[in-house]
Amino acid sequence: MFDDMPAVSSRPELPVKSATLDVTPRFKDLRSVQWRIDLGVLPSSPSASTDDLRRVTADYRRRYASLRRRLLSDPHTFKDGSNMPDLAMDNPLSQNPESSWGRFFRNAELEKMVCQDLLRLYPEDGSYFQTPGCQGMLRRILLMWCLRHPQNGYRQGMHELLAPLIYVLQVDINRLCEVRELYEEHFTDKFDELSVHESDLTYNFDYKKFSKSMDSPSKSNENARKATSLSDLDTDVQQIVLLSDPYGAESELGILLSEKFMEHDAYSMFEALMSGANGSVAMADFFSHLPADGTNNSSPPVIEASTALYHLLSVVDSPLHSHLNELGVEPQYFCLRWLRVLFGREFKLVDLMVIWDEIFARDNSKIESRDPDGFAIFGSARGAFIAAMALSMILYLRPSLLGAEIATSALQRLLNFPQNVDLKKLIRRAKSLQVLALNAASTLMAHPLTGELDHRKPNVRGHSMSSDSLSPKSPLSLVPDSYWEEKWRVLHKEEEGLRRTGSEKRAPIPSKKKGWTEKIRASLTRTESDPSPAQTKNVRKGLRATVRRSLLEDLSRQLGSDEGIEDIIPQDKCSNENTSSQDSSWVSSDTSSFLNGAVDAEKLNAIYDDSENYASGESRVPISDVTVDSSLIMALNDNCIDKEEKNVKDQKLLLGKLQWLWRFGRGHASEETSDKGGVTMEDPKPSYPEANQNIETESSVMDETHKPCHSGKGDGQDLNMMGTFKNLGQSMLEHIQVIETAFQFQQERAQVGPLESFSKNVLVGKGQVTAVAALKELRKISNLLSEMTVVALTHKFLRETEGRVRVCTEENSEMAMRQFYNEIRGMKVKDLPSHLKLMCSQDYVKKSIQRGLDNYHAKYIQTSSVDPLFHVCFGGMVFSYLVALPEERRHLEHQQHAKEHGGH
Amino acid sequence: MVLVLALGDLHIPHRAADLPAKFKSMLVPGKIQHIICTGNLCIKEVRDYLRTLCPDLHVTQGEYDEDTRYPETKTLTIGQFKLGICHGHQVMPWGDLDSLAMLQRQLDVDILVTGHTHQFTAYKHEGGVVINPGSATGAHSSVTYDVNPSFVLMDIDGLRVVVYVYELIDGEVKVDKIDFKKSTAPPSH
Repeated sequence: MFDDMPAVSSRPELPVKSATLDVTPRFKDLRSVQWRIDLGVLPSSPSASTDDLRRVTADYRRRYASLRRRLLSDPHTFKDGSNMPDLAMDNPLSQNPESSWGRFFRNAELEKMVCQDLLRLYPEDGSYFQTPGCQGMLRRILLMWCLRHPQNGYRQGMHELLAPLIYVLQVDINRLCEVRELYEEHFTDKFDELSVHESDLTYNFDYKKFSKSMDSPSKSNENARKATSLSDLDTDVQQIVLLSDPYGAESELGILLSEKFMEHDAYSMFEALMSGANGSVAMADFFSHLPADGTNNSSPPVIEASTALYHLLSVVDSPLHSHLNELGVEPQYFCLRWLRVLFGREFKLVDLMVIWDEIFARDNSKIESRDPDGFAIFGSARGAFIAAMALSMILYLRPSLLGAEIATSALQRLLNFPQNVDLKKLIRRAKSLQVLALNAASTLMAHPLTGELDHRKPNVRGHSMSSDSLSPKSPLSLVPDSYWEEKWRVLHKEEEGLRRTGSEKRAPIPSKKKGWTEKIRASLTRTESDPSPAQTKNVRKGLRATVRRSLLEDLSRQLGSDEGIEDIIPQDKCSNENTSSQDSSWVSSDTSSFLNGAVDAEKLNAIYDDSENYASGESRVPISDVTVDSSLIMALNDNCIDKEEKNVKDQKLLLGKLQWLWRFGRGHASEETSDKGGVTMEDPKPSYPEANQNIETESSVMDETHKPCHSGKGDGQDLNMMGTFKNLGQSMLEHIQVIETAFQFQQERAQVGPLESFSKNVLVGKGQVTAVAALKELRKISNLLSEMTVVALTHKFLRETEGRVRVCTEENSEMAMRQFYNEIRGMKVKDLPSHLKLMCSQDYVKKSIQRGLDNYHAKYIQTSSVDPLFHVCFGGMVFSYLVALPEERRHLEHQQHAKEHGGH
Repeated sequence: MVLVLALGDLHIPHRAADLPAKFKSMLVPGKIQHIICTGNLCIKEVRDYLRTLCPDLHVTQGEYDEDTRYPETKTLTIGQFKLGICHGHQVMPWGDLDSLAMLQRQLDVDILVTGHTHQFTAYKHEGGVVINPGSATGAHSSVTYDVNPSFVLMDIDGLRVVVYVYELIDGEVKVDKIDFKKSTAPPSH
């Protein structure tokens, strides 16, 4: 959808890409051939003839064959060739890694590692990949590649990059077989005829008839329905026949689809994919642990790419980005897997092919004007698309990701990507995001993200145009903003000087953290006649409010998708309305511009369509806004160089949109300010936008409660806390009331105001709906708070009772002891000798024990001698001996017995 | 392709303390698929060490072995070759080719590996090979005192066997190689 837009195809820095995208691929049905062209194995120019393709293919095959001969040789064959090289070095136990045996063992080790992975390759589609032939092929290719690139070595995942390539080749070969069966007569050995086939069709035709009549008359009847000459066949069948002619250039070796040379072809494709064919995205980089160039950024390419992805995410969907950051979900946790196998784990093989089709169709050549400090993955259209695809996948999971409360659950969702996704939607979104990635990535997202990469250096504009007054390489940090200013100035000069008031030459905004809202703000100051800073700020707040609002919608899920749609509708209507009202000549007067206008309307429709798609799945208002707006802006600026008349139209459109945005924002801002007015009476903290976010409010509440807790220490803490809770709950309730009244007032005003347009009414109504949702949240919070108060009360009560119970139990135990003592006190000691009787009296025993203990204490403990330790040890010994005594006696008896009776 | 290590007569700890360090550094796990040991290890620890190199260990009984459970002779088939192992002190006269050839015929093997003399020898005989890997530690024997440590590594591949002889002479490992091809027809005798 976006590809058709002039914004994409007319961008000057991507002529090749637009060419490949707009023109349907040459071998659209022969995926393996098309991929070979896209990957840079075969010549990509459309003028390349079949013979050229065949020659290149044959070259690659020859190269592979010699490589294989050289690398995968047995040590035995070596020994024959170079007789007796040096046995001391070249023997099986040699420690020298350079020896043929050393190489042999190294290969064997590598092979073992590869085999381990290959055994687990697509076990579910087992039939093909698990066949011995395919396994052997996979193993050899991987082995060869690893031997050719020892700096990379083998890493898990490489086999999953290779498998689809082989699969594609196999599919096409199967197709060739089918075609061969169907159109057997075209595959007959035509030695000389085919060389003149293209120039002399009639001769070929005659030959066909002749050969058929010669062959078998019965067969010719049967084939009567079929096309008699090659030129009558389907073009793709024709292609297949031509590509697999054994007598073409390079003869058998040049057959593009050949089962014999599948391995050779797969290797060349794999090699091209891994190395990137001199392009910017090389898959091998994603497997390496070393930084790409190692000078300015010290992280490996795959980490850098995932950081770039988060960067892009922060621009497109900052709430989601901040949410993931809060959870601590680092991008590399899932990007490593996504990027290394190019989403191979996430999709079924069939779906993966479609995605790879798209990825490979993108040009991989480096964009020269790109800032060298920028993210490498954005360095080419293909890389940008890969990033956009990943982003589109993240956005697909957006609702569940926002719902995730811990990092693990978020990662679970990211790593178990749903299988039944709407692939077309995903790719379409990726396409629209790619535009953003290519352009916005370099310009808008210069703000530092995580701080681990030093990208604070200002990124310069990616697409430098010839008419751009500023050099793209200039290191000034203000370049992007002044660039936009420049653009605007040019635009306004062309269009009309009236709109621009002289005082609006604002100083360029120094901070670069603002993203696209900044730009819109900057442009707004120009479009509006009264650009007071407060209002511009309001616009920003309003936008932020929409973002927050969408977050709220996602959380509450009450307003759901239809609101997202409705939100878009007025937007489009509004922009249309505005453009027509502002420039009356747009539709009516100029016919040529009418055409352009039609294009624009179409574009709008497309945008609307797209955003509706977003909205239907999940409410994704801010994202679609972002893409729409930025792409529009891009379209504007690119067009302004080439076509100035069209520019005017586009600009009007944009102005209308911006004005609408401003108004939209203002509506929100007024809501906000009124809320704030109400809120500040009580407490400045829980203001409206914060109240929207459940968590944030919660945390702010917690902050509030903690403050008094810390200030009021001691016994009154509970009371203090309770008081705070109560106060908070009450204040919340008051807030709610204030907000309600404010909204009612505003709605009345909106309805009364005769000048307000219909769309505005809808808008305000919309705003109110969300506000009502927010109120619900607030009420929930207040309920929660009151509950918490109850809990606190209960807690205090419990604590008190606990103390009391403890006292009770202590008393109880003492009572029981006393009772027991009384009971045994009455018992009598039985008749004993009188001297013993005396000693058995309780007092005596007590006293003597006491005395003994005292003596012991005085003698040993107070003198801090070690004797007590010995006593304890000795006591333990005696005790244990006593315990073991009967056993010992039995043993001795047994021994005695044995001695007497002589052995056993 | 199979690598078979053949060694024997280590006489640890009676006549030698350990394998030479150079040999030990060469013998690493993961390369060798089978170990053939003719006997006289003599203690269990040596057998355990050999097991660490390769778990597939075949030992025959030498006259000094503490463990008395080893067989007198043993045959095994690796690839297309049939190998026979015997210590050799039973074969009189010791190290005599004719006597050994008799044993080879008795066992019906292509390659006979014996020990006891502590001298490396390899004969191609009657379509087979008779190998004595010598003493891996260089321990003296009852007949000779000056012994170079040596062992043998056989690379068996299909119908072909390449025998690598590793000998430690004056502190240097010397490697020699003997090629042997088995004729497909059974030896005529």
